[in-house]
Amino acid sequence: MHLETRHWIFAGLFLLVGLTLVSGITLDLPVSPDTQRMYDFIEELPEGSVLLVSFDHEASSLPEIQPITLALLRHGFEHKLCLVGLALMAEGTAIGYRLMCETAEEFDAEYGTDYVFLGFRPQYIAAILSMGESIKATFPEDYLSRPYDSLALLRPLGNYSDVVGVLSIADGSFTTHWVEYGGRYELKVLAGVTAAMVTTYDPYLASGQMQAMVSGLRGAAEYETLINRGGGGARGMLAQTSAHLYVILLVILGNVSYFLKRRRTN
Amino acid sequence: MDRRIAVVICFAFGLVMFAQYFSAHPLAHSVNQTVADYWQIIFAFALIVGVVGFLNNNFQQVRKGQDRPFRLLSLAGFVIMPVLAMIWGIKAGTPFLWVFENIQVPLQSTVFALLAFFVASASFRGFRARSVPAAILLSAALIILISRSFATGPLSEWLPDVAEWIRNNPSMAARRAILIGIGLGSLTTSLRVILGIERTWLGGGK
Repeated sequence: MHLETRHWIFAGLFLLVGLTLVSGITLDLPVSPDTQRMYDFIEELPEGSVLLVSFDHEASSLPEIQPITLALLRHGFEHKLCLVGLALMAEGTAIGYRLMCETAEEFDAEYGTDYVFLGFRPQYIAAILSMGESIKATFPEDYLSRPYDSLALLRPLGNYSDVVGVLSIADGSFTTHWVEYGGRYELKVLAGVTAAMVTTYDPYLASGQMQAMVSGLRGAAEYETLINRGGGGARGMLAQTSAHLYVILLVILGNVSYFLKRRRTN
Repeated sequence: MDRRIAVVICFAFGLVMFAQYFSAHPLAHSVNQTVADYWQIIFAFALIVGVVGFLNNNFQQVRKGQDRPFRLLSLAGFVIMPVLAMIWGIKAGTPFLWVFENIQVPLQSTVFALLAFFVASASFRGFRARSVPAAILLSAALIILISRSFATGPLSEWLPDVAEWIRNNPSMAARRAILIGIGLGSLTTSLRVILGIERTWLGGGK
């Protein structure tokens, strides 16, 4: 079999990421202002505040999204917030429900009083606008098909004025819709997003339309440091660091060979 | 005549939805809620169009013999998932969720992870500092890459500040320009549709 340069590059990346994942090395990471802002926002909320958690992501980004979600849910449950989960993307439904239930179990949180999962609604813009008028009309039942009024946590919730904000866990531009359409009801928007989406949300964060944002594996690792709990963020971050450094090395090597070739040609 | 009715309906809804945005009257809220409900119902029906399209396309390709095993696998998934959901439900611990978490999630994550290999290969073969702007772009990308890793601290104390500056200034300026452009474009197009100037959405020529 004839091996080309790209095959060696692929093999190098595979080995590097594999080795760093099994190495078990942990490194200290300074906490960025963005992550600190999210932590402070949640810390300042009074116990028992109701926070919507919207799982607006696909299954493909789970390795990056899961550590962020777990860190934020753990902080929420630890701080005795009441969490109301929902999904605006079909794939986020099952994932969101599982993550909420697993995290709730760690903190002995009870379904119906400490947390509830509402499930999925199609057409995200219509769902966001509709919840602004009435959460009950948008979700007459929860994910487990229990009537809205049978759940103690949901009973007093009318619309966005009864919640402290929404935490959108997204791998795309869904959080933008929370800002644009939820903003009409003065809904406070928090975000847990993939690293690739950071620049999309920076203007909203700077303008104050979005309250706080935790991004990528780095954000997850930083948040794990803040809440003093381990998780996939720090482990994944090490693999990501090695991959980043590998890419940087390849860029440098590629450019050196390009300039050498150009000089020879000239 | 048919087209005129569609344009009139579009104009009426555009006007009502525009007006209700600025009103706090209960009627305005009620209209907003009702339209949002209908919107969701219409969207659910639109999914049927997608399903029919998917089935049509796959059956045609199977008949032609193109990628037959893959097409049949897609169709099998299309049949199996609703059957599992209808028999055992979609909640935790059901076969539906088992298939979703143990087949769909790993498959999608694997395909997504393949991007890393393409990026690695492209970084060696494509990211060239051929000109001054390309060199600036490449340097910014490298700084951001390092800033998103554990290597930030050991390499330099000022590197996170530089990365933050890139994010908060040139990157944000470009992003804001794009956002404003999109906003103005959406506004213009919406007005053209509501006023009946833009009619291509009705199909069939001008």
